[in-house]
Amino acid sequence: MNSIRRRLLLWLLSGLALALAAAGARIYTQTLDEANALFDYHLQQMAASLPDDAFEPLPPSKSGGADIDDGLVVQIWDRNGLQLYFSHPASKLPQRAELGYSTVETARGSWRVYSALEQNNIVQVAQPMSVRRNLAAGMALRALVPLLALLPLLGFLIWLTVGRGLRPLDQMAAALAQRTPDSIDSLPETGLPQEVRPLVHALNGLLARLARALESQKAFVADAAHELRTPLTALQLQIQLAERATSEAERKTAFEQLRRGQLRATHLVQQLLTLARQEPGLAARPHVAIDLAEIARLVVSELAPLAAEKNIDLGMDEEQAATISGDFEALRVMLGNLVDNALRYTPAGGSVDVAVRTRDGTAVLEVSDTGPGIPEEDRERVFDRFYRREINQASGSGLGLAIVKNIADRHQAAVALENRAPGPGLRVCISFPLH
Amino acid sequence: MRLLLVEDDAMIGESVRKGMQQDGFAVDWVQDGRAAELALESNPYDTLLLDLGLPRKDGLAVLASLRRSGNAIPVLILTARDAVADRVKGLDAGADDYLVKPFDLEELAARIRALLRRKSGRADPVVQVGGLILNPATREVTLQGKPVSLSAREFGLLHALAERPGVVLSRAQLEEKLYGWGQEVESNTVEVYIHSLRRKLGAQAIRNVRGVGYMVPKST
Repeated sequence: MNSIRRRLLLWLLSGLALALAAAGARIYTQTLDEANALFDYHLQQMAASLPDDAFEPLPPSKSGGADIDDGLVVQIWDRNGLQLYFSHPASKLPQRAELGYSTVETARGSWRVYSALEQNNIVQVAQPMSVRRNLAAGMALRALVPLLALLPLLGFLIWLTVGRGLRPLDQMAAALAQRTPDSIDSLPETGLPQEVRPLVHALNGLLARLARALESQKAFVADAAHELRTPLTALQLQIQLAERATSEAERKTAFEQLRRGQLRATHLVQQLLTLARQEPGLAARPHVAIDLAEIARLVVSELAPLAAEKNIDLGMDEEQAATISGDFEALRVMLGNLVDNALRYTPAGGSVDVAVRTRDGTAVLEVSDTGPGIPEEDRERVFDRFYRREINQASGSGLGLAIVKNIADRHQAAVALENRAPGPGLRVCISFPLH
Repeated sequence: MRLLLVEDDAMIGESVRKGMQQDGFAVDWVQDGRAAELALESNPYDTLLLDLGLPRKDGLAVLASLRRSGNAIPVLILTARDAVADRVKGLDAGADDYLVKPFDLEELAARIRALLRRKSGRADPVVQVGGLILNPATREVTLQGKPVSLSAREFGLLHALAERPGVVLSRAQLEEKLYGWGQEVESNTVEVYIHSLRRKLGAQAIRNVRGVGYMVPKST
């Protein structure tokens, strides 16, 4: 029964009942106090005003059991302790009592007793305390009963009011139920009660973030499909040219072109997959302690054959031990992309250097080449997906630096591009926080 | 027929140029918007094949300034942007046709022929002058109903002349229609092709206007 409405009803009604009980108790004690004072005075008055003839012994039969309900029992003794009068012989009251007020416990409950010395006789007037208690209880009950009768009505009102108060939640649920992945516009925030607004506001924040994430996913898929068109177009044209070839030499050239086109399409698909895997938000592998120099050695040896083929001098420049916490596979992909890029843009006879050093509390991974460099104004845009700076001779996928940026971001690493001095050439520095 | 191909992707550009050359077109190929404008200013082209996503100057911007300057050259857009809105935008910017990548070489050639046909004010794809009939789609030529076999260059030359019968084209104009950049033009190739055409079609098929150029006479 995890319902705000029911819980509120239960707590409010219990609280109310408790308050009523407390009020009843208070009325009871107060009335009892007043009754005590009043009846005590009454006892005294009665003792004082007893007529002298009452001191004559009376036949016990004169009093019936009913008289006890009036409460008052009178006993009179003379000085010698001889009982002169007893209004209710059946009531077993103490034969003697001290003068003044006292409360006496008997088998029939407690009694309030007043004893006084009147004309050499001891007059004792007694009254059962239950009379007073009944009076107080009656008062309390008379005050409480109408209120108790109102409790169900109050409960009903609470039920209604809470229901009305919670209606914005129902409306919100209905509005949320209408949201689909295609229409996740925000919920209206105006006219909401103060208590619900933070919830709706937070929900709207979440919806907005979701919308952005969806939007970027859609854009990614659209971009990817669009980018795949280029290599596919090239492939289709190359196939047609191969079909048209009339001589063996022509056919050979055509197939050579076709093979290059197919390699490019494969490369693009691989890069797309890599990028999709590195997208933030995917379940990332746990970070472990990694020596950057080890990754650098691994990547350099992997790409050494490609460098040799292009007649580029690829090597490690400087390697200080720099241990960071990261995802080994992702970092290998990142450095692989950087070195691959450098090899793509560096002309034959040039060099590509990889260095690992520590500097001002950061571990720096550095790749420098002797390629054309990147002009200042392009340095922001090169990280955009599918952005290609120059006419596409190098046949890159346009994704390499986007992948690098993604992985660096996930490692809280900063990526800086600078032109090598003395140029020409590009230096890419990735600075990781040292742990 | 000389085409200007503006395409930044090396593989696509290479293949289109090769394919269109095989279909008998002379093709010049540039890879960015600025270079395209420069080429258009300095050379007469029969058709412009224009990619949209270009470095340095976007294809649509090239097209817009081309049309503003009053150039009416037929323009065929070749692009990967396939949304209806993109196609509408391209056509409204002044393109005559729109081909979405990936496309087929045969279709590209057919669309270019259609553009050239419309440019010359003809609806019939077949060019007919007297007893001479040229089919640009199949590159078949018949003379008085008998098929004549021509090379791609010979066909190109005859097509250029037969399309506008009675109009004299200079040797330079004919060379421009036959050769793209980087193709070596030998000093008297036009004469060589004219000679060979006359041998196949008869001496009267192509007239030499001394000091001016050549023409296919209007049929009488």
